[in-house]
Amino acid sequence: MAGSQLKRLKASLREKGVIGPQLSKKQKKKNAQDGKANNNRRFQKAADLEGIREEFNPFDLKHNARGPKFEVTTNRPAANNAAKGRPTEAKSLGEERRRQTLLVELNRRHKVGGILDRRFGENDPHMAPEEKMRERFVREKQLHKSSVFDLEDDEPAEGLTHLGKSLSFDGPGLVDDFEDDISAGSDAAASDDEHRGSKRMRPFDSEAQDDDGEEGQPERKKSKQEVMKEVIAKSKFYKAERQAVKEADEDLREELNKELSGLHELLFNRKKAQDSAAVNETESAAAGKERMERDYDLRLRQLAQDRRAQPTDRTKTDEEKAEEVSKRLRELEEKRLKRMRGEEVSDDEDEEDVDNNKSDDQPMSGPILFTETEEDDFGLGRGIKTQPTATELGFDDEDDFIIEEDLIASDSDLEPIESDASSDEEDSNAEEDDDEFTKGLLNDEETQNPVFSGQLTGSTVSTDTKQDSNGLPYTFPCPQTLEEFISLTEGISIQHLPTVVQRIRALYHPKLNSDNKSKLANFVAILVQYLAYSSNQTELPPFSILESLIRHIHSLAKSFPIETANAFRSELESFGRSRPLTPNLGDLVILTAIGTTFPTSDHFHQVATPAGLLIARNLERVPKQVTDYVQGVYLSTLALQYQQVSKRYVPEVMNFCLNALCALAPEKAEENLGQFPIHDPMPGIRITNGRSFTVRKLTPADCIKDDLSDEEALSTKLALLTTTVNLLEVAADLYSGKSAFFETFEPVKNVLVHLGNKSCKAKFPAALNDQVGKLRSKLDRMLRLAHMARRPLELHHHRPLPIKSAIPKFEDSFDPNKHYDPDRDRAELSKLKAEHKKERKGAMRELRKDANFMAREQLRVKKAKDAAYEKKYKRLVAEIQGEEGREANAYEREKQMRKRAAKR
Amino acid sequence: MSGSTTEESLKRKRSKVPEKANKRTKAKDSDERDPQAEILQLENEILESKKNYNNIATLLELAQKDNDDDSTQFAMVSLCRVFLRLFASGNLARRNGQSDKDVVVVQWLKKRLGDFKQIIISALGEEDTASTALTLAMRILQAEGKYTNDKDEYNFPKAFLKEVVEALILSESEDIRQEFCEKYLGEYADIRFYTFKALKDILSEERSASSNEALFDNAFDLLSFFEDVPSSAEEIGEFYIDAPKKKSHPVTSLNQQKKQAQEAWIALLDLGPNRDQRKRVLQIMTRSIAPWFVKPELLMDFLTDSYNSGGAVSLLALSGVFYLIQERNLDYPSFYRKLYSLLDANILHSKHRSRFFRLLDTFLSSTHLPAVLVASFIKRITRLCLNAPPAAIVVVIPWIYNLFKKHPLCTFMMHRVPRSPEEKEALENEGMADPFIADEEDPMETCAIDSCLWEVVQLQSHYHPNVATIAKIVSEQFTKQSYNLEDFLDHSYSSLLDAELSKQVKKPPVVEFMIPKRVFLPQDLDSGDRLGACDTHAIDSMESPPRVDAEETDSI
Repeated sequence: MAGSQLKRLKASLREKGVIGPQLSKKQKKKNAQDGKANNNRRFQKAADLEGIREEFNPFDLKHNARGPKFEVTTNRPAANNAAKGRPTEAKSLGEERRRQTLLVELNRRHKVGGILDRRFGENDPHMAPEEKMRERFVREKQLHKSSVFDLEDDEPAEGLTHLGKSLSFDGPGLVDDFEDDISAGSDAAASDDEHRGSKRMRPFDSEAQDDDGEEGQPERKKSKQEVMKEVIAKSKFYKAERQAVKEADEDLREELNKELSGLHELLFNRKKAQDSAAVNETESAAAGKERMERDYDLRLRQLAQDRRAQPTDRTKTDEEKAEEVSKRLRELEEKRLKRMRGEEVSDDEDEEDVDNNKSDDQPMSGPILFTETEEDDFGLGRGIKTQPTATELGFDDEDDFIIEEDLIASDSDLEPIESDASSDEEDSNAEEDDDEFTKGLLNDEETQNPVFSGQLTGSTVSTDTKQDSNGLPYTFPCPQTLEEFISLTEGISIQHLPTVVQRIRALYHPKLNSDNKSKLANFVAILVQYLAYSSNQTELPPFSILESLIRHIHSLAKSFPIETANAFRSELESFGRSRPLTPNLGDLVILTAIGTTFPTSDHFHQVATPAGLLIARNLERVPKQVTDYVQGVYLSTLALQYQQVSKRYVPEVMNFCLNALCALAPEKAEENLGQFPIHDPMPGIRITNGRSFTVRKLTPADCIKDDLSDEEALSTKLALLTTTVNLLEVAADLYSGKSAFFETFEPVKNVLVHLGNKSCKAKFPAALNDQVGKLRSKLDRMLRLAHMARRPLELHHHRPLPIKSAIPKFEDSFDPNKHYDPDRDRAELSKLKAEHKKERKGAMRELRKDANFMAREQLRVKKAKDAAYEKKYKRLVAEIQGEEGREANAYEREKQMRKRAAKR
Repeated sequence: MSGSTTEESLKRKRSKVPEKANKRTKAKDSDERDPQAEILQLENEILESKKNYNNIATLLELAQKDNDDDSTQFAMVSLCRVFLRLFASGNLARRNGQSDKDVVVVQWLKKRLGDFKQIIISALGEEDTASTALTLAMRILQAEGKYTNDKDEYNFPKAFLKEVVEALILSESEDIRQEFCEKYLGEYADIRFYTFKALKDILSEERSASSNEALFDNAFDLLSFFEDVPSSAEEIGEFYIDAPKKKSHPVTSLNQQKKQAQEAWIALLDLGPNRDQRKRVLQIMTRSIAPWFVKPELLMDFLTDSYNSGGAVSLLALSGVFYLIQERNLDYPSFYRKLYSLLDANILHSKHRSRFFRLLDTFLSSTHLPAVLVASFIKRITRLCLNAPPAAIVVVIPWIYNLFKKHPLCTFMMHRVPRSPEEKEALENEGMADPFIADEEDPMETCAIDSCLWEVVQLQSHYHPNVATIAKIVSEQFTKQSYNLEDFLDHSYSSLLDAELSKQVKKPPVVEFMIPKRVFLPQDLDSGDRLGACDTHAIDSMESPPRVDAEETDSI
């Protein structure tokens, strides 16, 4: 295109018809007539102008500098010409924004204070000035509306007022003023409000009437004043309405208040109500009111604390009870089996467990107690108990109760709940619980004793130690160390020990005092220590005592599982550390107690597992004396008993038993009996000639007695042999289903054959020989069965593992702009990273631009300052120069004049 | 001539006598007060002039006296000082331009030195003087070595060292040997060299002597001091006496050192150690003994003898034999058969168990071994596991896993499906006997590969939860490449127990929900099943026979 930029612009403008020769009047008119077209044309013109502007400012748009990178065919509109951005526009926009924000900040920097323009709408460019003004006016009005004394108020003047009331004498307010009791504040205020409200309402009413009057006329536009009036009137009306509602409420409340005394009677059914009412009447009104309010508060509190009545449980029938018990047992058994398989007990069950524990906290009350006693009657001990029926449970078997009358927690549900003297409704619940609990723990005599009842109801603690018929004091301090307990029980015969423990448990039941919980927890630990301690005394306490101690520990363990477990574990630890291979009787008793207190069938148990390990370790040692063998036999028994339910294999038991048999056998076996390690026995262990002896049973004394006469030793050895053979039989039954039964018990058979040959047989009593022979034939049978039942192992019927594929995964519709990361997390992460990078770049760019802007501004300011300075400087110089010049001129003139004068 | 010199010396002695007698008398008084001062004085006099050499004899007498420990020791120390000075001043060496007189003096002094050495040696044998004596002996040794090797000649006082070593070996005290080892034997190359030499001589001389066992132990103490054998000539250590100038002197050569050590060891082993001693030797065999040997083949007899002797000695000898096989290509006939025979009932209970397992793992690590042989080992060891402590089972199972991974043919032992209907029927009708022949000695003939690992399945219900869990890996899918045996090797009852007891109880443990009616006393026998009855029988019979009657009446 030829010509200069200006020419071209002109040309293109003309072409679009923006400029052109002036239109004639006729044409203009014609144009004006078709308004729509006109409107269109205006838009058209704007678009044209825009186009021209763009055309003449090619740098306003940003294009791809070198065109598209690759030639592609696509069904999208060709984007190669499309502008990618408008740099100048963006730049000016940014500049503008900075001027608005950054520049302001820059100017405000290092400045303190200033004036903030808070006028409404001042900074809102979207508001027209009129709107602004109107809004401001409204606000101003609202701000001062509350003032009654506003002279500019549009309300009709009422003349002078006092306290918001007219001072005119004809008004009703004046009369009220005198009659009103000032002390009755609220009423007065209310009435006051009422009056004022009515007063306020009046103008609105009149206005409304006015409106009504005007209704017929055509609607004219309301003046601003009218509108305002309307608004104000409306607000006043609403206020009055609210007032009225409030008043009505107040009335209602008043009424209720009056009726309340009647309601009281209904609610609390007091005998004295009448009297008090009568008294009330005589009392002064003010005092009565005060009193009533106090009463009211009291009542209210009582009402809030009152427990909601609960429906009483229906008494269950025997069948239902049995059903419940058996269900609970079944659940527990299932949980045990789960633990045995090493599965995690699921959460809800855990919670159930917790619940059980909670209920166990009060072990002697409610249905839990009941089940416990039932369990006690279930005579199998820890045998197999899959589905006990009601009859199996034998809970109606009265004899059992009689037998264990002296044991804890046994007779509570049999004893009828005594009709306690005061059947006060208020404290019945807790009392009953405690009573029941006491009965659970104490016998009749004790229950009658005032010491306990006094203690238990929480009244004064009688410190005098009364004694019962056995000379046992009723109260004991709760021992906190083993020494304390020992000194406590010093003067008491060992027979009464369970009673002492029972009483301590009753006295310090956790329900009675919050401290008791920790005390009892400590007491369990002491009991455990005492168990070991007392068993190690020279005179072993009778087993019934130890047994009941263990049962006490067991029942306490239900409330304090962690403490009990820790106590047992510390016993085990001292056993494992200080005397790993020389257990004493205390250790044996502790191990036994663990076996009954904790479920030894669990796959893992914090106490039972280390105990099992300790037993095995002791079985593994090489026995030297007869006592070692006796201890070993007992430990083997324990080990087998531990595995009674879970039937886990204990190699050490087999080793020990086989070894014991070989060692006790009168002669050494020539051939190899099996793959178990044989320890050559110490001299004097082998049985020499026991033909004439009768087989006796082992006693605990055998565990410790060292120096035996030959006779005694021989009888002990024979007893050992019998017990060991017994043990092997039990083991054979226990492990009968094991896959390697054949391999495990073949050596046993060999050993028995060895024991049964002539040279050995001759030295045993006949009963023993019988026993050996019986077991041998039984084993023969079992081995044959095992042989029949044996199948090749098929352990690996697993689903075959998929071979890892190395073929790359192809995407059918691949889009390079999308990310195909199969790893979700990584994809997320890379997305975030990209975003972060982008933001970071943007922020940096912005900051750079900000810095540029600031520099520019500073430069500008400096330049302006410099210019002003320069200007001022120049002005001053000029001024001075002018002045100087004048002086110089004056001087010159003077000089000239002098010269002239001189010439003259 | 010698006669005249002695006469002369005697004369000289005599001439000194009165003077000395005076002194003695004087000294007598002071003797009560301070014998040490006297000794000091004597010593000073010797150093002052040659004329007072006879004081040496006095000092020697003093040193030999038994009564007073302090003064004898003091005398010995001062004598040592005297001789050191004499060595330093050259008075103990014969020189070319010396007069006869002087030669006589030198010879006399040398004799006295000999006496002194005897005193020291005898002091070495006594418990309380031994330490000082050792120091003195080594000082004298150093001085002698230093001043006697003149120009080019390298002289080490071998004879004296041998005496010292002999005294040490025959001495009762352990400490003195320890001191010698730490201070001298370990530090100095030349002492080590000549000690080895001396040991060899002594041991071969004493072979016929009676007290063989003590001798062996003591010599073993000395020889086994070295845990690490120097690997290069730089590491052999410093020299106590200046190193020989000749480069090729045997003392400086590592090879010669090793040779000496080897000879010493052989001499020691020739003494015919008993079983315990053999064990001790075998324990340090591969680490401390074999590296000394230039020709380890020399150990072959000893090792094979030990290996064949059975029991723990065989176990220990195994590593030595392996060392020879590895290093010297020893061809041990039917090695695996022998190894297989080591798997007896005691192996899993032995305290050398982990040591054995490390070796066994090495021996069976080759994938080229026949699967039949590997299967025999697996089967035999699992059989033994039925009677093993948990710590052993814990090693065996991962080891078996690794073997299964290496020899997939053996996995038939875990998974064998009967294919044909006849086979199935036979199983139904007759059951199955274990095809494994336990008594077979040849691992190639045991038919173990046709057997199954029923034992491992039984161990899956082991009483210890961890063992049971480990045993379960055999029946799980074999996804893990291999187990690191080292993680499982060093366990014992106490370590397992510690692991259990060191954990804190956080979760409340489950408590048995039933409180049993009877713990010790007999329970209701009629209602119990047979198992319970038998068991309680055992317990009852165990604990409380006198109560039985009462309880029975109760239950009736």
